[in-house]
Amino acid sequence: MTAKINVSKLGLFTVLPIAFVANVQAKNPQDSGLNISGVLNGYYQNSEKVLSEKAEGFGLGETELALSGAVDNAFYGKLTSVIESADGDTEFEIEEAFIQTQALPNGFSVRAGRFMSDIGYLNNQHLHTDAFVDRPAAYRAFLGSHYFDDGVRIDYIAPTDIYWAIGIEAFKGQKLQAEELKGEAKSVGAYTFYNKFGGDIGNSSSWQLGLSYLRNENGQAFAAEHHDDEADHDEHEDHHNDEHEGEHDHEEQAGHNHGASFTGKNLFSADVVYKWAPQGNYKYQHLTLSGEYFRLTDIFLAEEIEHQSELDKDHQAWYISGVYQFSPQWSTGVRYGRIDTYHLHEEVLESASLKETELQLSYHHSHFSTIRLQYTHQDGTEMFLPTNENSITLQFIMTLGAHSAHQF
Amino acid sequence: MHINSKLLLATALLGLSQMTHAALNVFACEPEYAALVKELAPDAKVYSATTALQDPHHIQARPSLIAKMRRADLVVCAGADLEIGWLPVLQMKAANARVRDKSKGLFFATEQVETLDKLDKVDRSMGDVHEKGNPHVHFDPNRLLLIAKALMKRLSHVDPSQSVHYHQQYEVFEHKWQQAITRWQQKAIALQGKNVIAYHSSFRYLFKWLQINQVDDLEPKPGLAPTTSHLAQLLKSANNQRVTAVILTSYQDTRGGEWLSKRAKIPMVVLPMSIGGNDDSQDLFSLYDSVINLLLESGQ
Repeated sequence: MTAKINVSKLGLFTVLPIAFVANVQAKNPQDSGLNISGVLNGYYQNSEKVLSEKAEGFGLGETELALSGAVDNAFYGKLTSVIESADGDTEFEIEEAFIQTQALPNGFSVRAGRFMSDIGYLNNQHLHTDAFVDRPAAYRAFLGSHYFDDGVRIDYIAPTDIYWAIGIEAFKGQKLQAEELKGEAKSVGAYTFYNKFGGDIGNSSSWQLGLSYLRNENGQAFAAEHHDDEADHDEHEDHHNDEHEGEHDHEEQAGHNHGASFTGKNLFSADVVYKWAPQGNYKYQHLTLSGEYFRLTDIFLAEEIEHQSELDKDHQAWYISGVYQFSPQWSTGVRYGRIDTYHLHEEVLESASLKETELQLSYHHSHFSTIRLQYTHQDGTEMFLPTNENSITLQFIMTLGAHSAHQF
Repeated sequence: MHINSKLLLATALLGLSQMTHAALNVFACEPEYAALVKELAPDAKVYSATTALQDPHHIQARPSLIAKMRRADLVVCAGADLEIGWLPVLQMKAANARVRDKSKGLFFATEQVETLDKLDKVDRSMGDVHEKGNPHVHFDPNRLLLIAKALMKRLSHVDPSQSVHYHQQYEVFEHKWQQAITRWQQKAIALQGKNVIAYHSSFRYLFKWLQINQVDDLEPKPGLAPTTSHLAQLLKSANNQRVTAVILTSYQDTRGGEWLSKRAKIPMVVLPMSIGGNDDSQDLFSLYDSVINLLLESGQ
């Protein structure tokens, strides 16, 4: 069931408001039509959380409007705009605006424009498909929740029985820029390389394994002797509830910033996903187990500092998650994750860590609507010290229009 | 040296010609279409993305399916948006241009025939309905024959070197299938006019062909699982309408049906939705045999 409308009849820009106001009727076959979909996302949260953009009280999450379709037989295009409301400001952002080739031979495809990087397991998925209210702390700390950027990707899928995809990407990388750079930022700042493997075990189980690497040319912070202008250090001590506080004040004053809180030159990651459903029939019950590990190395460039080896520390983060849908309308999940980071305080590295335990119960009236109750326990030190260790979030996520894809 | 290079060239050419005659790689979305391809192209390498125990509305675009589609020469699916939740993702990720064009490597069965229950207007409040009509066309033997003919033409188009072979295979299939239709129709006369309650509109075409009336649906709305209040309502109407059976497919949850069957004292029948849905259903012929036998047995 999809809502598609004829692009030639209505200009692109008249379509945008109409999609929400009027009930746009589907008329055209899939390949000549334009798919329009919207995501509505609202929540109530009783307390702020460390490294989370969600405020206390009522709020709107990522509200999405997406247009997609085949441009012609050689190209596919997608535009996803996100409207977000935080701290009284309403922000309009383009999350995706890309084209992808559809007709290249031998398993090659190229994507260009703005899109979500294919590193890790969760990163290429939209936030509204997640089983929990927020991305794991690892993503919030190292990738700005989810890393999308302007760039280009070449992907190759091997003609093997086992699924094997390899890809390289190049991005602008501004979002992943370190707060203190030595010299000018490189205009192409981030490169990634990923490998994904996958297959089935019998009729009931499937798995996927991913290995990725991100090289961030602008990720290494320059640790100079003098840090007088860094006024945010004291604030770290008491309540660093907001990832934007202090860290990025120099670059972006207005609104908020979706960049990463922690950066470095190299980000290595490994992910594994296992899914099970009785006889592979996902409708009534299924289980998803997933885990990811991240290691961020070469955090500081410290040629002028005496004890250089002291600075040779890596950030690391991981999480494991299990989600069980036990009836067509109910699912529940548990996730545990932690991050261990270092920050420079008067030329000495200090460590800080955050442990997160989350439990959720979701009701799905149909596969287009979800109402979720989540309990989060945060146990953090230093800059990750939460104001409240325990928080509760009640959230709804609903989709309109074109059928959203069931990505693995 | 000269001889060697000639020999090499000959070997290479031989290899090339063998490659063009290599078995056709077919990706079928459902087992019934895998079986139909097998009838027409017995030498083809056929893979079915789903089994008869899986609801094709709810399939994961999992890595193994992407890998299979990557190598396919032809993709055969029901269409009419049955696979809308996963087929587009597979097509995007498999990066196989050969199976993207609906006049070449992509074949939708429902686009070869008229579907039932097409809707001019679809909105989400109606549940999981398909604007392009009911996609479960494989249980109408006459429509299936039309699909077979179109598929034979498509196979010939994708793999012209075997065109004659596909035509021959179709002739054989058509003859056998026509005979079988006559046999099934005679056998199923006893089922005409029976009232049944079924889960979803999975057997819409079967019931129309055999003149069985589906008076109620276990689902309160298409795609929504049976609720207690809805079942209680069905129990009332089951007695009034002289319902003879509660019918489910091999991939549907039996709890609602069992509840109703016990309370209303009418038999519950689980019919194979496709090949492999029960032990008897080994190909399209035995699938139809099994379905009709099960329906007849329940009536006694």
